[in-house]
Amino acid sequence: MSWPTCRRSVVAEPGGPVNLRIDLHSQAFEPLRCLEQWQRSLSGQDHAGSAAESLFIGRVRAEAAAGGALVALELEHYPGMTERQLHHLASDCCARHGVSSCLVQHRIGRVLPGEAIVLVAIGADRRGPAQRCCQELLEALKHEAPFWKREWHADGSSAWITGNTAL
Amino acid sequence: MNSKSPPPLAKLPEPTVEVRLFAALREQAGWDRRRVSLSEGATAALLWPALGLGSGALPSAVRVAVNQVFADPQRPLNPGDELAYLPPISGG
Repeated sequence: MSWPTCRRSVVAEPGGPVNLRIDLHSQAFEPLRCLEQWQRSLSGQDHAGSAAESLFIGRVRAEAAAGGALVALELEHYPGMTERQLHHLASDCCARHGVSSCLVQHRIGRVLPGEAIVLVAIGADRRGPAQRCCQELLEALKHEAPFWKREWHADGSSAWITGNTAL
Repeated sequence: MNSKSPPPLAKLPEPTVEVRLFAALREQAGWDRRRVSLSEGATAALLWPALGLGSGALPSAVRVAVNQVFADPQRPLNPGDELAYLPPISGG
């Protein structure tokens, strides 16, 4: 599997360097393969395995927000700003929680029900920071990174989503 | 005394900003980017009705980015800025 838009960096933070990688995928990606590749990549950099890891995988539901079948979800983004904002949100969140690694994979374009739309993987020394950082970063990218979702319905109609699903 | 008339001043380029729209806002307006003249003191809030994007004030649900960074809609714009109106975000 190839990494589509490499945004890998090691960010110097007061609590130690954070291995950070952010990618936008215009085609379907397999989260478990991404994780495997990410772990290999960290090992190759002498990154000691994290004692605690927190993962989140989000997939597209088969139901539309207002009920009925969902044919596809279309994800629009703001090229340039989205990548920059993701990097800013991730760096900020990692520094606040003192974690050591952060992987964010996000889809753009047309996403089918069941396909992964987002993957967040946080490595830290303790479960608390790992879990809190993972949840906080996920919420931040849902509300603070310029993405827009449009639902496509079976009858050919579509509707822009104006909010996020309940926590 | 030099009777020659001074050379004409080079015409300065008109100050402009590039306005970008996304998602539902783009579809409602029917355009995604437009270069518009910038008058002194112009802000994203003032340009919103001037561009015909809405009859009233900039809705609170619409966020503004200037040069791809979230910005205060009341902040004065500078020539060459890229101004984006962002409908409600739904990532993740």
